[in-house]
Amino acid sequence: MDYYLSQVINGICQGSIYALMAIGYSVVVGVVGLVTFTHGEVIMLGAFAAYFAFQFFGNNLILGIIASFSASAFIGIFVYKICYERFFDAPRHISLLLTIGVSMLLKNLTQILIGPNNMPLLGVVPNKFFGIGLVGVTLVQIIVIVTVISLSLLLFLLFNKTRWGIMLRAVSQDKKAAALMGINVKVTSMLGNCIGSGLGGIAGMLLAIYYQTLIATMGGSAGMKAFSASVLGGLTDIPSAALGGLSLGIIENLGITFASASFRDIFAFIFLLLVLLIKPEGFARKRGVRP
Amino acid sequence: MATILEARDVCQYFGGLKAVEKVSMSIDEGDIFGVIGPNGAGKTTFFNICSGIFKPTAGEIIFRGEPITGMMTEKIARKGMARTFQNIQLFKFMTVLENVKIGFHIRTKTTMLSALLRSKRYRADEKFASEKALEILERVGLSAFKDTLASNLPYGLQRKVEIARALALDPKILLLDEPVAGMNPAETQELSDFVIRLNKDGLTIVVIEHDMKFVMNTCNRILVLNFGQKICEGTPETVRNDRGVNEAYFGKGLVVGEGYNNA
Amino acid sequence: MKMKIGAFVGKLPSWVKALGLAILGAALIALPIVYPKSYVMGVMCRIFMYMILAGSLNVINGYSGQFNIGHAGFYCIGAYTEAILATKVGLSFWIALPLGGVMAAVIGLLVATPTLKLRGTYLAIVTLGASEIIRLVALNWEGLTGGPIGIKGIPSPVLFGFKISKSIHYYYIFLALAALFFFVTYRVINSRIGRAWLSIREDELAARSLGVETRFYKAINFMYGAFWAGIAGAAFAPYFKFISSDMFSLDEGFNILSMVIIGGQGTLLGPAVGSIIVNFLTEFLRPISQFRLVVYALLIIIMMWLRPQGLVGASNSILAGKKIGGNLSRRGKGGAAVARAGGR
Repeated sequence: MDYYLSQVINGICQGSIYALMAIGYSVVVGVVGLVTFTHGEVIMLGAFAAYFAFQFFGNNLILGIIASFSASAFIGIFVYKICYERFFDAPRHISLLLTIGVSMLLKNLTQILIGPNNMPLLGVVPNKFFGIGLVGVTLVQIIVIVTVISLSLLLFLLFNKTRWGIMLRAVSQDKKAAALMGINVKVTSMLGNCIGSGLGGIAGMLLAIYYQTLIATMGGSAGMKAFSASVLGGLTDIPSAALGGLSLGIIENLGITFASASFRDIFAFIFLLLVLLIKPEGFARKRGVRP
Repeated sequence: MATILEARDVCQYFGGLKAVEKVSMSIDEGDIFGVIGPNGAGKTTFFNICSGIFKPTAGEIIFRGEPITGMMTEKIARKGMARTFQNIQLFKFMTVLENVKIGFHIRTKTTMLSALLRSKRYRADEKFASEKALEILERVGLSAFKDTLASNLPYGLQRKVEIARALALDPKILLLDEPVAGMNPAETQELSDFVIRLNKDGLTIVVIEHDMKFVMNTCNRILVLNFGQKICEGTPETVRNDRGVNEAYFGKGLVVGEGYNNA
Repeated sequence: MKMKIGAFVGKLPSWVKALGLAILGAALIALPIVYPKSYVMGVMCRIFMYMILAGSLNVINGYSGQFNIGHAGFYCIGAYTEAILATKVGLSFWIALPLGGVMAAVIGLLVATPTLKLRGTYLAIVTLGASEIIRLVALNWEGLTGGPIGIKGIPSPVLFGFKISKSIHYYYIFLALAALFFFVTYRVINSRIGRAWLSIREDELAARSLGVETRFYKAINFMYGAFWAGIAGAAFAPYFKFISSDMFSLDEGFNILSMVIIGGQGTLLGPAVGSIIVNFLTEFLRPISQFRLVVYALLIIIMMWLRPQGLVGASNSILAGKKIGGNLSRRGKGGAAVARAGGR
């Protein structure tokens, strides 16, 4: 019983990271209005940015967050300019194929420049363990959950209490109307893309410090999980994406108690298929993007 | 005359929006039936329900005695209902002839094996599709443009191509969604004559239109919708004189009959 | 770069096209006799095989407008089916080959079915996921697939007692398979079925209103593409004599995708050209082979910017990414909006 409970806690923790990845993805797809394949690589680059920050400046988590967010947001600018800026009114497959190309590019360049192997990232968070009743949580897990909750709150405040937030929401609902209201749709879309990417970058850092390793090819499975979790919200609804991420984390961790751990990534796919079969539009309340 | 298309208390709600509210109507074979109403009245939604694009929240559609409510569009097309679209959904990058040839899909039977072996069935189908397509283009007056890319044609001709393509199904009923939108008076008159000719050949036609002159001159019965509800159904005379219709279009201030003819 | 190569070739008189094809055929048949270097034979085998792989992906993506990016999965299934049947059951290559295709087609149907109702992007992700699952199963199901070790010692095909083992022999096998693929595909495309596929690509709603059973045709299309990828895989297994799951990764899927995007979508010639270009590039880039995928990625990006339909792709199609304005910009009295070319 304790084993299952601890798996649930693992699930909540990993699920929080997935939730953050999915939230970032939903922000990107919601604001820009185009589906992307680059989120996985953006997550990966954030992880590596944090890795190098830790290497050069010590195990400072705040610094890691700043580094990963900035790096991924910065890459977001290029992704925006290459894949989205000119293609808002083009057939959807063009921007999609461009994001596939960019994701291939980022992944392979990283493999060449940094190396294709697992890079260990040990001890960023001290190995503390807290027993709570039957089970225990580690310090890392607490930090992950706290980080994700804080970021979600910040995002909520941004979207609902600031002027930029209103602009982002307007652009996500109707670009033409937003333009008529005087909003600079291009800059706002880019901003949305960068914020979403930045959140993905932080998620990458969390993955790295949680698993204590990172690898240039981690983008593929990360991207798949972000997408699968976001489908629950029609790819654009943030709370549903977070819920999707949490559920995915729990399902995955319970699932590998039955199947072998090497099948872990398959759960994301099964989750995706189930959502697509049962409620393909997700639970999005707003119109959502045309995928 | 037998009833060919009937709607019974059809409702279509999108969340809180009542796009179509308890609309009933009945079209007889051989009618040219007009559907009019202000913008947003629910006309195209109603068409979409008839042709299977939407499944209505409530109500029934009966086509040639058979309930088709919520049936898939492809199946309804096979049963003899063809339609055109408000936005002209032509295959933009295909030629006029290729567009019409695709209309013969349900009247041909080539399977993958027949196609591979170039069997008799394949050759018969190809001949049939090509010949009949040319015939339809001839009938519609578009033979000269058969090899022109659909998107290169002027607007009015594109509409005609879409109608030609719909005719390829050899339908029993043809639904036209704003066929004269964007046409000048001469083109409108031409299309009106064309529709009447098609009807004389035995085709029941249903038209959504805003152009009152076209509707009054071409249709023998009219349904008027406003805010998703039926406010009148009857002959052009009945509709012209109906108070509800006049209020819907002109508000409550104008005297009946004043300021009417606007084409 | 507004050349319409395909249109130009298409308008040539039939006898010119037939003659051209005959000359090409003769040249290809004569090549190994004239220049039997095994390195060249190896490259040509790969080019022919990838023509089938890219061509079959093109049937799915370019002709019916669906969005498959997991083609490596079907390739994998064909290869493993042949390898397992040949090594464990001792089945003859000539029977295992079509079975590889059939197996891939069946899996193709399983993959496509849940997504027939959904839009393009969802299909893309599902195909990606499916490709990965197939690879993971091949990697982990040790009993059947040998796990990470893979399957080795795949027996060579035997034709009337003659063992096919040298690359010059395989040259003719791959050439024959590629020729068969193009022949069959040409006939299917230029028929009612091909027209149904095109109509789905260009405007699915209009196609449905004309009675085209879009779900059925999408499924058939998917199975057709998967089948040929399976055939390619099943021919590859005895050629390479050894297969393992890492040969069928997502990178391989992108390799095939690049050929279609660079060479062209929506035409028969496009993927063939793509296969030639990309495989030549692979050879040229051998000294810096880790940059290979970077180069392909850049080419994909450049192609999407400059010529989305690919070098020899269907310029007159939605694949070319043209926006529709022009003649439809006259607003009707009903306020009809400008129709969009996209909306998949």
